[in-house]
Amino acid sequence: MVKFFRQVDWFTRISAGWLLVVAFCAIFGRFLPLVDPLFSDFDALYVGLFTPGHWLGTDTNGYDVLANLVVGAQTSIMIALISVGFGGLIGASLGVISAYRRGRFDYVVNTIFNIFLSIPNLVLGLALVAVLATSSDPSMPVSVGRRITVIIISLTVVIVPILGRIARGATLTWVNREFVVAARSMGMKDKDIILRHIVPNVLPAVYAVGFLAIGVVIVAEGALSLLGVGVIDGVSWGAMIARVAGDYEFAPHSLYVPVIALAFTVISCNQIGDYLRSRLDRREGKI
Amino acid sequence: MAGSGSAHLRNNDEVVLDVRDLVVEFKVGGGRVVNAVSKISFDVCRGETLAIVGESGCGKTTLGKAILQLPPPNSGDVIFEGTNLTKLPKEQLRSARTAMQMVFQDPISSLDPRMTVHDLIEEPLWIWERGTESERQTKIRELLNNVGLEPDLVMNRRSYEFSGGQCQRISIARSLALEPRMLICDEPVSALDVSIQAQILNLLQDMKDRYGLTMVFISHDLAVVKAVSNRIMVMYLGKICEVGSPESIYSKPAHHYTSALINSVPIPDPTRKRTTAPLQGEPPSPVAPPSGCRFRTRCPAATEKCAAEEPQLREVTPGQFVACHHPRV
Amino acid sequence: MSALMSIKDLVVRFETPRGSLEAVRKVSLEIPFGTSIGIVGESGSGKTVMSRAAMGLLSGSNVRREGSVHFDGKELTAMSPKDVRNEFGTGMAMIFQDPMTALNPVRRVGSQIAEGLRVRLGMDKKAARARSIELLSLVRIPDPESMLRKFPYQLSGGMRQRVMIAIAVACNPKLLFADEPTTALDVTVQSQILQLLSELRRDLQMSLVLVTHDLGVVANNTDFVAVMYAGEIVEQATTTELFANVKMPYTEALLKSIPNIEMKGGTRLPVIEGRLPNPTDRPAGCGFAARCSYVQAKCTAEHPPLVDAGDGHLYRCWYPLGHTIGRKQ
Repeated sequence: MVKFFRQVDWFTRISAGWLLVVAFCAIFGRFLPLVDPLFSDFDALYVGLFTPGHWLGTDTNGYDVLANLVVGAQTSIMIALISVGFGGLIGASLGVISAYRRGRFDYVVNTIFNIFLSIPNLVLGLALVAVLATSSDPSMPVSVGRRITVIIISLTVVIVPILGRIARGATLTWVNREFVVAARSMGMKDKDIILRHIVPNVLPAVYAVGFLAIGVVIVAEGALSLLGVGVIDGVSWGAMIARVAGDYEFAPHSLYVPVIALAFTVISCNQIGDYLRSRLDRREGKI
Repeated sequence: MAGSGSAHLRNNDEVVLDVRDLVVEFKVGGGRVVNAVSKISFDVCRGETLAIVGESGCGKTTLGKAILQLPPPNSGDVIFEGTNLTKLPKEQLRSARTAMQMVFQDPISSLDPRMTVHDLIEEPLWIWERGTESERQTKIRELLNNVGLEPDLVMNRRSYEFSGGQCQRISIARSLALEPRMLICDEPVSALDVSIQAQILNLLQDMKDRYGLTMVFISHDLAVVKAVSNRIMVMYLGKICEVGSPESIYSKPAHHYTSALINSVPIPDPTRKRTTAPLQGEPPSPVAPPSGCRFRTRCPAATEKCAAEEPQLREVTPGQFVACHHPRV
Repeated sequence: MSALMSIKDLVVRFETPRGSLEAVRKVSLEIPFGTSIGIVGESGSGKTVMSRAAMGLLSGSNVRREGSVHFDGKELTAMSPKDVRNEFGTGMAMIFQDPMTALNPVRRVGSQIAEGLRVRLGMDKKAARARSIELLSLVRIPDPESMLRKFPYQLSGGMRQRVMIAIAVACNPKLLFADEPTTALDVTVQSQILQLLSELRRDLQMSLVLVTHDLGVVANNTDFVAVMYAGEIVEQATTTELFANVKMPYTEALLKSIPNIEMKGGTRLPVIEGRLPNPTDRPAGCGFAARCSYVQAKCTAEHPPLVDAGDGHLYRCWYPLGHTIGRKQ
């Protein structure tokens, strides 16, 4: 890790540093001595930055911005990691197997991927959430937990074809190399060939894009919240944005802070993903 | 040019590989079919090195892979040591493969770039669960020494750290790990410098002697195969032109294509000038090969008979078989 | 008479994190008008780097070039890259080893040939098209009109190489560099392409520099040969003189290791043991000393200079062949 920090340029260092801070908040946020994020401090409604007691101010409901930011990181990051993690696993598996086998299976999987990819990400996410998160009784609001689960599921569905395509494309470049034919000629089973030869070579491409996808999903969560179907009444960055969207002119910092945090995180994810990709390219260049 | 002549088959006890009427075709878009290998038969005797020679596109690489059923041919039989590989069920075919190994043309892409040399050579042993950990170590070291590489220097490095010649040595070591009885070498030296070619060819000879192998050596370069082969088979556009011993083929080539191939090899002697290229034009497309003898479009001795009737292999001198209506001999 | 291109003390260095890598060490070469020169060496000898450096094609922040390259009365090293580029096409041109990657796969053949004509010679569309057809016939492509509309992937290796030659000679350059032009081709196509290059050279009165690892290729196609090893020229003479009176043991070993179609079958090929020295870590004495069968004490201690045997035959060896001391007993 230390070696990493020494080797890379300053921009990548800052990105990695920021992501580490975010990760720290995500893991330890709830244990830090902060105000309860959902505590409405009526004495301090929409106070500005650097007010003692509320270092980043509060929003129009009296919620402490800093607390929401730190604790909310957990939800946002968790949603992103799980969606990309599962989406990547499912998508990459489908992509690798379909590219290895070709034929009808490949045709079907590829068509399904293309269908889902042709629907704009946000619209797809919106549709899935709307369908899955609506309770049958309109007067009973859906619980936060269920909301989050639904968001995770719908974002996973969005990610599957994205990473699936990447995995499939990468597999296609490797599957015709002679060492795969060599492995078959040695009597290796297909399953082993995929796990030992194809997957390790395809994985770098997948996680390079996966990092970028994390950034995309964090923004998507924010967007869904803004549209009213995200984690509106919980603690997450998206929720923060959603809450103040209507009357932010009273407390503009309560909008800017989460947006800036989001932007930094996405930029950092992009930078790290880019760095991973260039490492991968350099190694491929030797072949 | 040859069809499915069988005059050259020997049918005796020494035959290790027997290929009959092999056909391999690929579909390419638009309903067209590439006739890569069109009903070829040949055999290889124990301890022999058969060289299969021809230009790119003649089907020799496809033939090599088809022998190993990678992928299986469209029709025909491949009988190795009495077992018909084309009729074997999947699991038995997998284990039959251990007796026949292949060395590939591009030394670098035939090795997984993420694996160390040690793992690359151990892999076949791992697949078939041969030997204990220490037995495998000994074997790997022995193989590396045999191919002229210093085990301690190379075992922990990866293929991209080596030159083409060294990668080919690693590839050869790997192919010998399962102690196969037959080795199919698909243009093993074509991607290497001339000076390195000599090293690898000698190595293959040594390995053949040491392990008692039968070899099939595929190449487009007649000069290269002369040093290593006992029998030569010349192919053109999916068919056999001529089969014979190196002595007869090089001194008295019976087929016009063979003669043209021999004359194309550059001779490193400036006092022997050649004024014209021996063979003009390019091979026709394997999607729509010429009727009758497939070589007739470039042959100086072609007649109407060549277009009408496909020549079959027949013996012209003892041990030399040619498929031509008007052979040179 | 001044030479067409005059390279003096050319040095090319790559700055890498692991140290300075001298790919070309003080190479001097004269290329007269209208001659054909062969530059022979194994992979890693520096021959490709040298020819690209001479043309000014090497780019990169870690490349350092020293020495002088005089072309057609102009000093290339003193000119800006833009002015050097003006020499391309009309002054000098290069053809490369792998025609597939050297041609743009998404542009039609016709447009790639016409590009040079329109940019360099200012021809309009119609004139360029007519000239393109002329050029394609010049390189013996059948049916040039329909060839104009084809894409590179539709052509065979030999065809693509011809197209590349057509593009290179389109503006009638005075000097053509051919960097391993036939290495990726079959023997029969190789002899056609070499013959084509010789004829073009005579008809267009160009000088040709043939860079290759194959001495057989230069034997019949060049007037002079320079042999490179580890970044330096180690022997240089007219082609007939080089083959008749080899002086440097490396050249002799190179000659002997070529599989010769005329030698007896089944013989072991003589090899050059070992490998080229690592360019970041070259020995003090002669670079070939570790692999030379005639090596003496002086060879490992002192670096031999390039000496003239008297008739323009240059060699870099303390104990050249023919010398009494050092002859293998």
